[in-house]
Amino acid sequence: MVRQTSRAAPLIALWAEANWVQRAAAIIAILLLLAALLAPLLAPFDPLKQSLISRLRPPIGFERFRDGFLLGTDELGRDVLSRTLYGLRLTLGLALLGACIGLLIGGTLGLLAGLRRGWTEDVIMAGVDLQIAVPFTLIALLILSIFGSSLTVMIFVLGIAGWEQYARIVRAEVRKITELPFIEAARASGGGPRYIARRHVLPNIVSPLVVQFTLSLSNIVILESTLSFLGLGVQPPTATLGSMVGYGRDYMPTAPWIVIAPAVAIILLTFSVQILGDWLRDRADVRLRGR
Amino acid sequence: MKKLLLTTAALVAASGAFAQEITVGAANVSSYLDPGRDHSNVGSQFYYNAFDTLIERDHSQLAPVWQPALATAWTQIDDMTMEFKLRTGVKFHNGEDMTADDVVFSLNRMYQATFAPYVVRSKDRLGNFAEAVKIDDYTVQIKVERPEPLWETLVSLQQVMIIPEDYTKALSGDPMVAEDGDYEAFSLAPVGTGPYSVSEFVPGEKVVYSRFDGFWGDAAPLETATVIRIPETASRITALKTGEADIVTNIAPDQIDLIDSDPNLKTVGSATALFHVMIMNVNHPNLTDPKIRQALSLSIDRDLLNEALWLGKAVVPSTHTMEEMGALHMPELTTFEYDPERAKELLAESSYDGAEIVFDAFPVYYTNGVLAAQAIMEMWAEVGINGRLNVTDKWTGNDPEMMTRSWSNPMYFADPFGSFGVMWAPEGPSEGAGRFNTDAAYAESWARFRFSQDIEERKAAYVELMERIKQDPPVLPLYRPFESWGMQQSVNWAPQPGHIPYVLDFRAGSISMSGS
Amino acid sequence: MTLYILRTVLKMALTLFVIISAVFFATRLTGSPLETFLGDGLTAEDRELMIAYFGLNGSIWEQYLAYMRGIVEGNFGLSFLERRPVAEIVAERLWPSAQLLLASIGLTLCIALPLGILAAIYRSAWVGSAIMALAFIGYAVPNFVIATFMVLIFAFSLNWLPVVGNGTWAHFIMPTIAMSGVLIAALTRFTRNAMLDVLGQDFMRTARAKGLPEAVVILKHGLRNAGVTVLSVLGLQIAGLAAAGNVVVEAIFSWPGIGELLVQSAITRDYPVLQFGVIAVAAAVIVINALTDIAYAFADPRIRLGRG
Repeated sequence: MVRQTSRAAPLIALWAEANWVQRAAAIIAILLLLAALLAPLLAPFDPLKQSLISRLRPPIGFERFRDGFLLGTDELGRDVLSRTLYGLRLTLGLALLGACIGLLIGGTLGLLAGLRRGWTEDVIMAGVDLQIAVPFTLIALLILSIFGSSLTVMIFVLGIAGWEQYARIVRAEVRKITELPFIEAARASGGGPRYIARRHVLPNIVSPLVVQFTLSLSNIVILESTLSFLGLGVQPPTATLGSMVGYGRDYMPTAPWIVIAPAVAIILLTFSVQILGDWLRDRADVRLRGR
Repeated sequence: MKKLLLTTAALVAASGAFAQEITVGAANVSSYLDPGRDHSNVGSQFYYNAFDTLIERDHSQLAPVWQPALATAWTQIDDMTMEFKLRTGVKFHNGEDMTADDVVFSLNRMYQATFAPYVVRSKDRLGNFAEAVKIDDYTVQIKVERPEPLWETLVSLQQVMIIPEDYTKALSGDPMVAEDGDYEAFSLAPVGTGPYSVSEFVPGEKVVYSRFDGFWGDAAPLETATVIRIPETASRITALKTGEADIVTNIAPDQIDLIDSDPNLKTVGSATALFHVMIMNVNHPNLTDPKIRQALSLSIDRDLLNEALWLGKAVVPSTHTMEEMGALHMPELTTFEYDPERAKELLAESSYDGAEIVFDAFPVYYTNGVLAAQAIMEMWAEVGINGRLNVTDKWTGNDPEMMTRSWSNPMYFADPFGSFGVMWAPEGPSEGAGRFNTDAAYAESWARFRFSQDIEERKAAYVELMERIKQDPPVLPLYRPFESWGMQQSVNWAPQPGHIPYVLDFRAGSISMSGS
Repeated sequence: MTLYILRTVLKMALTLFVIISAVFFATRLTGSPLETFLGDGLTAEDRELMIAYFGLNGSIWEQYLAYMRGIVEGNFGLSFLERRPVAEIVAERLWPSAQLLLASIGLTLCIALPLGILAAIYRSAWVGSAIMALAFIGYAVPNFVIATFMVLIFAFSLNWLPVVGNGTWAHFIMPTIAMSGVLIAALTRFTRNAMLDVLGQDFMRTARAKGLPEAVVILKHGLRNAGVTVLSVLGLQIAGLAAAGNVVVEAIFSWPGIGELLVQSAITRDYPVLQFGVIAVAAAVIVINALTDIAYAFADPRIRLGRG
């Protein structure tokens, strides 16, 4: 318990200095996280349970509303609310996993490239160029058509989706920093590359990495929904927010609620995550804080 | 007039009172236009406006009524030979006269095919046709290998539409010889004798038809008809609302109300002469026991699928038959039915051990395809079958690992041979793909069904085939999908009952525009 | 500097070679193209015939060599589906895609740069917060959601704007906005962040201390230095959008562009089109990137001198 309070203290301090947008974003993010974690408890129905006789029922408050289905039903009579909750759960899980894998791969390679230089840098940067040069949707398409669409393949695809951006940014920052006078000084006073990396580089790349992580988290949510939009996402009947939008889009003019619920969830998710990321970035930035 | 704010003069003209031009928004546009090598659902939209056959069906009627087209008369010389008198004064779109040489060239490119795509396409339906022979400039004989009960039907196929010989041969390489390159070039710059010429063709994107003033029959009612590809359903409907399109294809039943509720728009539709089917691999280790496949089939409530997904507008068949088949339409047979109790019994008796049964489905190609597949998984679960849906763009029908999948079985021509027969012949494509087996008895029944001159004998043979299919099922026809076209109120067009599925027929009598 | 450019060019060529090879082998892994577009209803014998017809009957190395030989001769093969040169097919699609891309970049620069600078200068005022909130919203809404809702409102309900193809300038409005949303948001953010970084640097204080007007300080010293980051971000984003980034937008608006073509050819396994399309796109992107790198070097003397 003691440990917890000692950890909570900076959080309270954080909260105190946040503006209302940031507070709202934090609350939304926590609610979404809770909704995702507790989906099995919160969902009023089995998200896969079909009822062909009550297809395409509108949400509460509209004509033809059917008891219990608060946000209406989809094209197979499944509860949109339950599907959105489970979709959120899967989407968030996939995105977090994917973003972490990307950060790990890209960050490590970028650091290596920036510090080692020479052929290591050349090989890594060639890989970066390679990935940049072939639009990622196409790479994803190729991978998904070679290995078929499944959850594992999806995680893999999302994991390698953003690594080159981390690598590029980390390397660029490392280069910028290692040529700054104070690093020269550190080097002159006998600091080895490992010391320089830990002492000077890491603290300085945290902020761009946090920005990139938030961007990439929402990028990944959007990539996942784009792949689903193209019919390449996870296999139905399992749904992510993206595939709900993808499969529901044909019903846009007649039954927009099928699309609106998951679309709103996606937007809230990406919106809140980015506000939070940006907030953290501002705080983490040493130079700004020093002003 | 629609209130589209910003538009070009051409668009205004298209939706205006002159109305000799229309724009069609199609879900798909062909990548090539060659009636000979094509038998796809996408392709069949495009050929009838620009090409003719020797004999033509009266497409306004369901029952076959044969009419002269490029041939004015045809007489059977003997069991193996039919003689055709050709129409004189017929011109191709490039100005060449049509003569017996063109007809012989067009027919023999299929009957004695050397170009691989023709070989493949002619084998399954034109295998009995030996050759076409020129007798004089306007007389041609066609010879078959066995007495042919379906002469008119098989001479009026899309695949044997007539194309110009000299033009085609000159397209590449030696202008005197028909090379593969000629046929490939032809499919990008097609020329026929129909009421419209293809004046612009962007593969996969756009086909423009222009009225051909030299047409031998009734003049085309439209000056131009432009078919453009609009893959998204919502975009197609929107294009109709904004007036960018006058007709749009592939409207699902769920969207019909939306279009009909707009006073400027309407829909027409029909249960298309095509079955969405589920095929089952009889040679997959998990499915070799026919009882399992019978259970897979008996557990599917096709009427419920129809009610829910097609609003009851589709047609659920009791056997593999269609009313287009005239005397051979046999709705009295019960080959396929819904009986979940029987399915459970069969499963209990069978060797089924709860193994996963995978159902492959294309993601978007078939209207309601993925929805029906998901519903089928639920229906299987009801009787204790452990199904899993695998949505993939890949055609898995040749894969020995394939267990079950969705497919369609179109009516390529109005005869059971043109629907069931093409796909399930001995040594045919299904058996060739390794997911269907036939034996001598099946082959014998099939031969009687295919070649007997006596309708009753053909029917009797077909009954035998259906019984075989029932006992050891490789296929379940789900329904004839209800396909709709949305259009402006000013357009008078409807699919003609005598056509194969999806034909966009803009010939005289098939379309007219009321001034708006 | 010459050496630097030479190096960049060499790297470009090597990257292209690796991409061509990788794409070739990757597409061959996906199975015979016949499985997809001629698949239904062929007997085993027919399949052999068609495989020979499409020239897919040699070993993979023979095919690879033949393909490479073709490329050297400038012959990229015939489309399996359309049976015409793939260069012709891709060429038809490049310009519409480029038009859309240029329109989007134009719109993005016009909006994002001023917004980003403003947001940085007024980072504590409501203007700054409002701009950033807008940027976040722009970023949070996926382009196909913007597109579908715009279609629903401006075309389906109001009938104001056309939705099909690229016929007139009116056709550009919705696709351009749909494509630019994310770009504007990203660039605004990065411009702001880069400006903030720069504003806190010592040389800015020096410039101010010299008594230069604030506008000059910001535009001359600030923007120039922030430009490095902005450039690299713009390069990245263009790269991402150059082809497949606009697949969805192209599909919704039936835009005859290259992204849509590539996805279609990947789905139908039309390898020759896919390969050439990827090569064309990759070449375009690599050139853009190389130019960005060189511009980067010009903008940042440390790189120019350090790596010379």
